Amino acid sequence: MLALLPQLIVSGIATGMLYALVALSMTVGYRATTVVNFGHGDLVMIGGYACFVLGVNLGLPFAPAFSIAAALLFAIGFLIQRLLMQPIIAGPHLSLAMMALAVGYAFRGAARLEWGNDILKLPHPYPTATFFVGGVVFTMDDLVISGFVLLLLLVLFLLFNATPIGKVIQAVFQSQRGAALVGINVRAFHGVMWGAGAALGAAGGVLLALIVPLTPDIGVWTLVRGFAAMTLGGFGSLPGAVIGGMILGIAEKVLGFYVSTVFIDITAYLVTILVLLIRPKGLFGQQATIRI
Amino acid sequence: MSGAARHAPVTAGARAASKLGRLFWLVPLLLLPVPLFLDQYQQYVANLVLVYVPVGVGFNVVVGNLGLLAFSNVAFFGIGAYTSGILMLKLGLPWWATVFPAGVMGGIAGSAASVPALRGVRLFYLAIMTLAFGELMRWVYIRWEPLTGGSFGMAVPTPSAFGWSLDAESHKFYAFLVLATAVIALTNRLLRSRFGRAFMAIRGNEEAAAAMGIPTDRYILLGFAWGGFAVGIAGSMYAALVGHLSPPSFDLSELILEFAIVMVGGLGSLLGSVVGAIVLTAAPEFFRDFPGFEELVFGVLIVAVILFLPRGLASLLARAHPALRDRYYRE
Repeated sequence: MLALLPQLIVSGIATGMLYALVALSMTVGYRATTVVNFGHGDLVMIGGYACFVLGVNLGLPFAPAFSIAAALLFAIGFLIQRLLMQPIIAGPHLSLAMMALAVGYAFRGAARLEWGNDILKLPHPYPTATFFVGGVVFTMDDLVISGFVLLLLLVLFLLFNATPIGKVIQAVFQSQRGAALVGINVRAFHGVMWGAGAALGAAGGVLLALIVPLTPDIGVWTLVRGFAAMTLGGFGSLPGAVIGGMILGIAEKVLGFYVSTVFIDITAYLVTILVLLIRPKGLFGQQATIRI
Repeated sequence: MSGAARHAPVTAGARAASKLGRLFWLVPLLLLPVPLFLDQYQQYVANLVLVYVPVGVGFNVVVGNLGLLAFSNVAFFGIGAYTSGILMLKLGLPWWATVFPAGVMGGIAGSAASVPALRGVRLFYLAIMTLAFGELMRWVYIRWEPLTGGSFGMAVPTPSAFGWSLDAESHKFYAFLVLATAVIALTNRLLRSRFGRAFMAIRGNEEAAAAMGIPTDRYILLGFAWGGFAVGIAGSMYAALVGHLSPPSFDLSELILEFAIVMVGGLGSLLGSVVGAIVLTAAPEFFRDFPGFEELVFGVLIVAVILFLPRGLASLLARAHPALRDRYYRE
C-alpha cells in the first residue's frame, strides 16, 4: 500500500498545479480589486472552449490559438469589470458576488447551448510521453503543466514584487482612494487586472482541456478547487496559491486512495470550510479575514 | 404587529399599511377557488410556486434583512426535503407529521451555517464557505445511500395530511397554501418585531448595532435559524410535490434560481420574495427543451436586475402604492 505513496504524491502535485494556476489567476483579480470573482470558473471554461474553437474548428496551430484565446478572455474580463462590476462597485458585496456568479452562469448557459453535452478534448500540441523515475510515472502533461505554472509564478512574483507595476498593485490593494490621490487611474487598472486574471484563467482552461474532457460544467469544478487552494494558501498570496493548490491536489489523491474515494470530490469543500473556521488567513495570508 | 406600530413613526403610509395588514388574510382566501380553474399540470406549477414562496422568504431573511452573504440556502432546502422523505419512507410517518421536523432540521442546519458568521467570517469568505457547505451536503445525499438512495434518488411515498391522502395536485395546493401563508405571516411578525429591527441595524452597520447594545451574535444565529426553518419547511413541501428526491435537484443551478427569486423580487422585501417566487418558479418549465437556455436567461436577468432595478420588482410595486412601501418594502 505504502509503495504507491510517491506515485500518488507526484500525480497529486500535477493535478494540484492546475488548481494552482486557477488560484493564481483568481489571486491576480483579487489582489487588484479586492473583489472575488465568483464567475471565474466559467471564464476558465470559456478559455478552454475558445482555444478549442480556434485550434480545432478553425485549424489554427496551438500557439496562435492559445494566444488568441487568452487575448479574447482578457477582453471579456476587462469588459465584465468595466461594464458590469464597476457601476455597482460601491454597492453591497452581495450584489458584486451575485453579479459575478450570474455572468458566469450566463456563460455556462451559452456554452451548453452551443456545445450541449458534447465531450470535447484538445489535441496535444506536444508528444505525449511517460517517464519512469525510480518506479514513479511522470507524464509529459505533468511536466508541461508544472513547468508552466512555476514559470508563471516566477513572472507574477517578480511583477508584483520587483516592478513599478507591483507597487501600483499594492497601492490599490491597500487603499483605492489613496492610490487615486497619487494619480493612479484606479478604474482602468481594475479593468486591466480583471482582464489579466481572465487571460490567465484561460491559460488554465486550455491546460485543463488537454487532460480532462471539456464540458460546460467544468467551471464550477475549477472554481471550487481554485477557492480551496486560495483559502488554504491565504487570500492574495501568490506562492500561497501555488502551495495551496499542490497540497489540495496531494490531499485529494492520498485521501482518495487510502481512506475513501469520496475524498476525491469533497476534499476541496472540507479544506475550504476547515481553513476558514480554524485559520481564516490560511498559510501565507497577508491580512486576516475581516473580523468584527 | 401592534408592538411595531407603537414604535414606527405614524405616517399616512403606515396608517394605510395597517389597514392593508388586515387585508393580508384575504389573499389566501381569494386563492381558495384557484384549483377549479387549473388543469393538472398548471396546478403542479402553482404548487411549485407555493413551494418557492417560503424558500424565497427564508433566504431573504439572511441575505436581504441580515445582509450576510450566505450561499447555503440550497443545503437547508435539501435537508428539509430529505428529512421529510426519510421519515416517511423509513419510519412510515404521514407527510404532515414530517413538516415540522423538516423545518427543525433546516433550522439546525441554519444554525450550523451561522457558526462561521458568528466566528467573524464575513463577505466573500462567508460566501465561499457556505457555498462549500451546500455542495458538501450534495455529496452527503449521494454517499449516504442507505438513507438517501444515493445518486439514484429516493421515491417519496404519497403524502397525506391528517388521514387525507394528498394524491391530487389540488389537495396539495391547499396544504401548501396553509404552510406558505403561515411562513409569510410568522416571518412578517418576526421582521416587524425588535428582532427584525435588530436585523436591519446589523445590516446597516454591525459595529454600531453592537455598540448600541444589540447582541448581534444572538440575532445572527436567530436569523439563520429562522431562515433555515422556513426553507426546511419548503423542502418538505417540495418532497411532497415531486415525489422523487435526487442529489442534482440541490446543485448550484438551484442556488441560482433561489438567488434570482430573492434578487428579482427585491432584497430584504417580504413581498419581493413572494413576487419573485411567482415570477420565476414557472420559468424553468418553459426552458425544459432547450438545455442551457435557462441558465443564459437567468444569468442575464439577474445581471439586468442588479444593474437597473437593484431593489427588485418590489420597489416597482412600492412606487405604485405607498402602503406597500411602508408595510412590505424596507430600504
